Amino acid sequence: MIVAVGLSHRDAPIDIREHLAIDKEQLPELLARLVARPAVSEAAVLSTCNRVEVYAVALDGTDAGLEAAASDLVRELDDWAALHGGVGFARHLKRRVGADAVLHLFRVASSLDSLVIGEPQILGQVKDALEHARASRSVGRYLERAMSKALHVAKRVRTETAVGAGQVSVASIAVDLARQIFGDLTGRAAVLLGAGEMAEGAARALIAAGARLIVVNRSRERGESLAADMGGTYRPWEQLVDALVEADVVVASTSARGFVVTRPMVASIAKARRGKSLFFVDIAVPRDVEPAVNELENVYLYDVDDLAQVVSESMRERRVEAERAERLVAHEAAQLAAWVDSLQVTPTVVALRAQVRRALAAEIDRSLAGRLKHLPEDDRRALALMADAAVNRVLHTPVTRLRALAGEARADDAVQLIEHLFALPDVEVASGAAADEPEAPAPPTPPAHNGSLPR
Amino acid sequence: MPPVELVFLGTVLAYATACALFFAHLGVRGGLPRVARFAPLVLAVAVPLHAAYIGLASIVAHVCPVESLHFVASASSLGAAALYLVLRRRFAIDALGAFVAPAALTAVLGSRFVGVPVHRAGGGLLALHITANVLGDAMFLLAAGAAALYLVQEKQLKKKRARGLLGRLPALDALDRAGHRLLLAGFPLLTLGIITGSVWSQKVESGSAADVARGLFAYATWLLFAAVLVLRAVAGWRGRRAAYGTLAGFAFAVAVLVVYLARAAMTRLS
Repeated sequence: MIVAVGLSHRDAPIDIREHLAIDKEQLPELLARLVARPAVSEAAVLSTCNRVEVYAVALDGTDAGLEAAASDLVRELDDWAALHGGVGFARHLKRRVGADAVLHLFRVASSLDSLVIGEPQILGQVKDALEHARASRSVGRYLERAMSKALHVAKRVRTETAVGAGQVSVASIAVDLARQIFGDLTGRAAVLLGAGEMAEGAARALIAAGARLIVVNRSRERGESLAADMGGTYRPWEQLVDALVEADVVVASTSARGFVVTRPMVASIAKARRGKSLFFVDIAVPRDVEPAVNELENVYLYDVDDLAQVVSESMRERRVEAERAERLVAHEAAQLAAWVDSLQVTPTVVALRAQVRRALAAEIDRSLAGRLKHLPEDDRRALALMADAAVNRVLHTPVTRLRALAGEARADDAVQLIEHLFALPDVEVASGAAADEPEAPAPPTPPAHNGSLPR
Repeated sequence: MPPVELVFLGTVLAYATACALFFAHLGVRGGLPRVARFAPLVLAVAVPLHAAYIGLASIVAHVCPVESLHFVASASSLGAAALYLVLRRRFAIDALGAFVAPAALTAVLGSRFVGVPVHRAGGGLLALHITANVLGDAMFLLAAGAAALYLVQEKQLKKKRARGLLGRLPALDALDRAGHRLLLAGFPLLTLGIITGSVWSQKVESGSAADVARGLFAYATWLLFAAVLVLRAVAGWRGRRAAYGTLAGFAFAVAVLVVYLARAAMTRLS
């Protein structure tokens, strides 16, 4: 039912990923395009500096329907990347369907698929993805449930395992690397370009290590506010080169589409810097700092993929905890899959109950209009309750057994047989269109007057 | 076993142990912090043993250490090890022990098995020449170690293989700063050594090819170190360029020593 298509730091290097970077402002348009695809009923987009992934619900829950939805998503993302210079992008996109997609969503939200396993930012980013989808009305019952469950699982992972303990974050790695270059960071100038969440984290870590902060931002208001918040100073964007002359560490995280720091720019300030080391941490996607800057003498550039390389080897001590978290996530994913599977038979169960209840109600109506016309209101109510209890009792075993079959290939046969035996009306099984059906029959409340059951 | 032999053995063992500890810390992924803390302590045991060995050996041979070529290399490495122990915290260059300890071990073994202590009559001028060179070489040895580690560390960072040595090698700036300061401190001693050496050679040397080569190497050392210092001050040449310059200068300084030792060995053979 759920489909995931996209790419992350595991699937493609940053020079590929940056073609698919999606701004918050662009999300409503993309979400609208996604749900307008013929095989897709719901969609949410998770866009971070390490991944761009679309989670969607297929209109048709069959294998063919899931594949059709995945193909729709691939085409849409391919078109989107083409608009931003990405050619032949489809081959980089990873497709996951059904239980794989759910498990992937849970792993992503729980930070088990993150560049830095256990990092906390991804939880907020998944929340944001859900909020954006809600705002664009592109999320319905299935995706809402799956993503909410993913957030719940992520919180469990954080509280029940130590996967996030002794945090090795991008920020801490940036500080470690800066220390490898400069030693003590006290009094060193850290320049913050842009104001992404991850960059703020790195800036805070550098300040904690003793560095002084210079915020350079296109938006004066935002830059001044950030500088004041972190105890730094603000420089207008026009003074970027001056700030670079002064800088020891530069954390870049703007949303610019092109490079804001180029090799000629850094080469031109080499003389003024008199050979001082300069360390760039570029956590923007698309990248802010031209890669060729790293070729310059005494200049060191690390982008998100480089940081991933550094981080990956520091994860050894977390692997045990990560394995525990993986088991927890798999268990929760199986529960959600069971819920989704149960939806496969739910419409039939609902229709069956309604059919039996209608038949019984018709008989009781006839009796109440005839021989039982004298019954007082209390007795009529008791009769209604008894009839409803009888329906539940009679159907308990077949319904339980039908639900147990959910998710198996035999479930379709059983559903068809029941529909045939009871002459049930056509029921849409496991589809997005069935999303608004109640999950289980309503409790046995007496129907309204002139309803199927008497008062 | 005579006391001088015991002290020699103790010195070699202590240096070898220090080498093993330093290499273990650098060689094992993630490092061995406890071992790293212990290694300088072992080196601190080796240094007085080494000094005692030079003292005892010179007494046994009836040769003043600063008047004998035999002890020069050994004394220089002893000076470098002692300097390292004094400066390692100030400059945050603990890992430089991995360079100093094997250099000292090589020198102490070399002095034992290459050449014999021979008194060279030269009076105060020769003593001053050798003392200046011993101290200067000790500083250049450390500066060259810092330069070598700088190049290793810089390459790791440039090639994005930083995780392998994170926290195990000193910071680039610390290595660059230490190298510069040591060069700055050693340069006047080198200058003094060259001046006294020039005066001495005019008095006694024959003008053989070895003497000419040694003189040329000594002047090249001085010129290279001077260039490194001047270009740093004038043009901001730091980091890699300074490291290469320091290593080149140190190579010439070693060449001077090699010429001395080769000549001594040939004299002994003839």
